[in-house]
Formats: sequence, C-alpha cells, structure tokens
Amino acid sequence: MTPTSDLDRVAMIVLRYMRRPLFVLLFVYSVGIMGMALMPGKVVEGETTHMNLFHAFYFFTYTATTTGFGELPNGFSEEQRLWTIFCLYTGVIAWFYAIGSLIQLVQNPHFIQAMDGFRFARKVKSNAEPFVILCGFGDAGSLLARGLSDHRMRAVILDADPERIKALGVRDYTVPMPGLHADASAPKHLLAAGVEHPACRALVALTNDDDVNLKIAVMARHLNPRLRVICRSTSARHEANLRALDNVTVVDPFEIFAQLVSRAIARSELHNLNAWFVGTRGVELGAPVQVPRGNWILCGYGRMGRWIHHNLQAHGLDVCIIDPEVDANQVEEGTAIVRAHADHAALMTAGIDDAAGVIAATNRDADNLSTLLSVTELNPQAFRIVRQNSHENQVAFDAARADLVLQHSLTTARRILKLLISPLVQELIDWLAGREPAQTRALVARLKAAVGEEPPHLWSIRLVPSQAPAVIDYLEAGGSVALGPLCCDARAFPARLPCEALAVHRAGESIMLPDADFPLGVGDEILLCGTPWSESMLQATLHNPYTLRYVVTGVDEPRGYLFAWLDRRRRRRGAHS
Amino acid sequence: MNLERVVFGFFVILTLSLNAAFVAGGVETAAHHNVWILTFTIIVNLVAIGLKLGDRSQTGALLLASGLVAGLLLITARIVWIVADPEGGSGPGPGDMADIVSIAMGALVANVIATVILVGDTLLSRR
Repeated sequence: MTPTSDLDRVAMIVLRYMRRPLFVLLFVYSVGIMGMALMPGKVVEGETTHMNLFHAFYFFTYTATTTGFGELPNGFSEEQRLWTIFCLYTGVIAWFYAIGSLIQLVQNPHFIQAMDGFRFARKVKSNAEPFVILCGFGDAGSLLARGLSDHRMRAVILDADPERIKALGVRDYTVPMPGLHADASAPKHLLAAGVEHPACRALVALTNDDDVNLKIAVMARHLNPRLRVICRSTSARHEANLRALDNVTVVDPFEIFAQLVSRAIARSELHNLNAWFVGTRGVELGAPVQVPRGNWILCGYGRMGRWIHHNLQAHGLDVCIIDPEVDANQVEEGTAIVRAHADHAALMTAGIDDAAGVIAATNRDADNLSTLLSVTELNPQAFRIVRQNSHENQVAFDAARADLVLQHSLTTARRILKLLISPLVQELIDWLAGREPAQTRALVARLKAAVGEEPPHLWSIRLVPSQAPAVIDYLEAGGSVALGPLCCDARAFPARLPCEALAVHRAGESIMLPDADFPLGVGDEILLCGTPWSESMLQATLHNPYTLRYVVTGVDEPRGYLFAWLDRRRRRRGAHS
Repeated sequence: MNLERVVFGFFVILTLSLNAAFVAGGVETAAHHNVWILTFTIIVNLVAIGLKLGDRSQTGALLLASGLVAGLLLITARIVWIVADPEGGSGPGPGDMADIVSIAMGALVANVIATVILVGDTLLSRR
C-alpha cells in the first residue's frame, strides 16, 4: 500500500462529494443541447433551419447559468421556445444542486481538517528558518511559545484540542508559528510537523499525559534519531523508559519546581542570579530575598510535596507536613505529620507560631490561597511560598502578596526555553549549585560591576569562520587569543566592554567561569552576559582583523601595503642598531 | 594618533577638494576649468588608491572601490579633454566641455562617498 498524503485525502473527498452533481450537470447539459439542436427552427425561404451544436451549447451555457442574453443568434421558433423553457428549469436546478453540494463539501469537518493538515504541512515544508516542534499547547506550552517568540525562534505547534489551536491564531507572535489540531503521537502528524525537516532543531513533548509524551518521544526517536527531544514526564516509570533513549532530555515539572523552592530557601543568592538571568519581573541582581532560618511547614504532600520535602531535607532543613491523605510509610522517621487540611487548627498544631516559613504546595489554587490567609493571620512574620497552578489565577496571586509565588507551568517553560536557547546557562547554574555560595557571590559582584542595573543580555558566540572570521584567521596564523583581551573595548583600550564570559564549551566539555587569560581555540562556544550594545561591539572585534589585532596586542597595525612595508623596514633598522 | 590615517585622510580629502575646484564654474565654458587641476586630481586620487591596497577590512574595501570609481571617471574626463583639444590651443568646445565637467561631477560624488565613509569610520571607532 502506498502512503497517502493529505493532498490525496483532499482529492478523494472532493471526488466522492462532487461525483453525483457533476454527473447530473453532464446529463442535463447533454439532453438540453441535443434537444435544442433537433428542434426545428424558423422557416427561411421555404426551408426549416436548425441550430448547430456549437450554437446550442452556447445558448445552453448562458441559459443554465441564468445569464439570459435572449434569442441568439437568430429569433426562435415556437418549438425552440418550448424547449428553452425546459432547458431553463432543468439547467438552473442542476446548477443549484451542484453549488449546494460544493458548499456542503467546504463545510464538511473531514474536508476542513484534511485541508488544514495539507496547508500546515506545506507551510512547515517551505520554512527554511530553524524551528522547534512543540507538542501540547497548554499553560506551559503557550508560555514556552511566547518565550521562543521573544527570542525570534519559530515553533510548529501540535495539540489535540481544537480550541487551543484556534486560540493560537489570535496570538501576536513575532515569528510565524503554524499550528495544527491533531494527535501528536501519530507519526503521520509528526512528519507533517517536520520531524525530518533539516531545519528542525528540537522536539518538545509538553502534553499533560505522560503516556502521550512517551509515545511522542519514541516515535520521534525512530523517525529522526539525530533530533533532540525534550520530554515532560512526572512518573518514575516513564522517566526510566525515556532515559534509556539517547538524545532525550527529561523535564519533570515537579522536580524543577521543588529545586527552585529549595534553592530559594537554602541558596537565595543563586536563586536571585537565576531569576535575573531568566528576566523575572522586579528582580534586582545582588539583592536576594532574605529567607529566615528555622522550621518549615509544607502544606500538601503529593508528587510535588514529596520532591520539595526531599530537596529541603537534602539542604538540612526541618519540615513539618500538613496533608489529609499522607501515608506515614512514605515519610522518613522523625518527620512531623499533621493529617488535616491546612486550616487554622492544623497550622497551629504544626507550630506556625515559631515556624520560619510556609510552603503552600497543593494542586488546588483555592486551598493554597486560603492557607496564605490563615498564615498571615497567625504569624505575619512567616515567609510565605505559594504554588500557583493555573495561569488564570494570576491576579489573585498578585493580590495575595506572598513572598514568593512559583507557577510550575512557568518554571517548566523557562527551563525548557533555557535548554533550547542557551543550554550553557542551566549548566552554569547547576555547577554553581554544587559549589560554595561565595563563588556565586563573587560572580554576582563581577556581573554587577560589568553590566550594572540593566536587565541582562545573554548570547553565545561560536569561533567558526562564519561567525568570527578575524579570530579564526588570527588563530590559524599561529597567534593566540585569550578571553580577556577579546572582551576589550577597542574604542577605549584597554578598558573592558560591559560583558562577562560565563562559560566556554569545547569539544563536548564545558569550562565554567573561565579566567581572563583563558586561551581560546577554533570551534569554542562562549556564553556571554552583558548589555545589548556590547554584543555589537564584540561583533566588530570578531569580524575586523585590525580591531582584533588592536585589542590583543594594543598596537594599531598599518593597513595598506605601503605602510606595512615602511613599518617592517623601520623595525628591521631598529633591530640592527 | 595614527600616521597612516593622517596620510590617507590627507589624500582623500585633497582629492575631493581638487575635484570640487575643477568642476566649479559654467559647465560649457572652457575658461572656467583648469586642465592642470584635473591632472593633479588624478594623481592625488591614484596615490589614495595605492595607500588603500592591502587593507582587509570592510571599510577599507569600500574606500578602495569608491577610489577606483573616482579614478576611472577622472581619467575618462582627461581623455575626452585630450581628444577634444588636440592642438592644445583654446581648449575644448562647449559641447565637449559639458561632457568633461559632467563626468568630473560624477567623480565628485564618488569622492564625497569616500570622505563620508572615512569620517564615519573614524567617528565610530572613537580612538
């Protein structure tokens, strides 16, 4: 069996729907034209004239379509007029029938879907820019699409819910983002979305169903083994399956969320740096949230609660759990448990009076918000961290004035965006998490000195001929370029540009926070953080051989042959004497 | 201060000034235009081209290109003058003179572009 495309389906549906109306038209036309040719016309000079076949066709065409030019080319006889009446009624009825069928076809849901699929596949195929396939357009999916649009990265979106795809049509993205209402786990739809397209950079499986995500990841792995897959998963069983596939990154929203919560509590300086990098509203670099030390109360012990508890314990914090359905066997010995909903009484039992803070982390926004109200009443000093489940409740959470509001769809979308746009940033954050807090503070001080109060601009450069021709030429000529001189400002040598190199990626390995005298090599990828204009200044250094020589050696070398020759002569003389 | 920039800037701006000095005056009047100024313009322009040879930067390439355009037009103008005034007496007639001056006017445009690039590049690099 040959594979059928959407175009084949469209053609088939059209043929099936239009077959009968077309036959009816053919029949009516044939009978009308023949009859008109056979009808005796006016008698001219004693002889009965007849209409020829071409004139009969011409007459029928303008009659059946109700144009009605009159009696052409000559006046009609009475017989012909009788036949005209017949032609008119049958022809018009046949046309109405055909047009009605056509309208019905255009409104047919199968036809609409086949046409959408065909147009979508054509749009994806003709796209030459790099793009990402996004399966699932829920809260996290739409936030990720917004982030990609801010970075001018295209996305192709698949979602099983037609309403979400309709909503996609009214978003004001900066780049085209074609969407299709289809089951993303069907390989046919993945192919239409461009899984095998050479410009496809990655596939992100973000549906709410772990089974569907696993299926998408497996299908994509078979269709294109080189494609990078990022997959959302919340269950250990699926995660084990996914980790067995290479080139697949598993993203667990609960784990990411729990990691953020525990870092906000135990490593506030790192949390502050991370929030500044991702551009969270109202974050000032070097001014971390002051989190009190002491006992914490965790409300809600589901999948998210377990992750948070686990991470907090790893940081050596004491936690008291409030949850009506917590199973004592799941919790380690020595952890205080209150089996109730997080109301006044439960909070009092858990020791809210001398608690350092409360984490409201149930999966119901109303419960979390009411817990916040109780906490504010019982212990206004307590630090309040709250989990926001639905993006729609944003205004209520803004009004609740919690110390830290974390929304897991947003944290997931940001993590995936970081993995797609600048994977080195996340590596750096994880690297810093494993080091002493003093190292993070030193980096923050350096960034504050270089970039200042402005929001950060992160970008990466690759030392390849297309992106840094001057550097490649210089290195291949036997010169050596260090990181520090490369970031010098050619207009005010030897002052530095307002940017800091955060990491260098070389041959599969990442070197974090390289020194200023770190020697660069061909093919290195450098992650930089600075102001937008420092990027364009650095671009000039990377492209112009004279600017590069100047920042590396501090000497403005002659450009033309004549002055280069004079320079060499002078130096030779200097060496002789 | 960079000696090469001084020397190159001198020749580029001198070409522009001499070119302007040549085209000033009535288009058809031979008495308003001096053939010596035209010859000097060509020489100074050729020196400026020579100084730019070997520059591998983008602005250097653009300066070389505009210098070549100006040189081509100025030499054409000089050849027309030679052809139109074979005896070296009273100068070319009004028709030929109009041709010569309009070609030199074209070279002036190329020289203005070269000067704008030079000044712009210097201002942007600010050192």
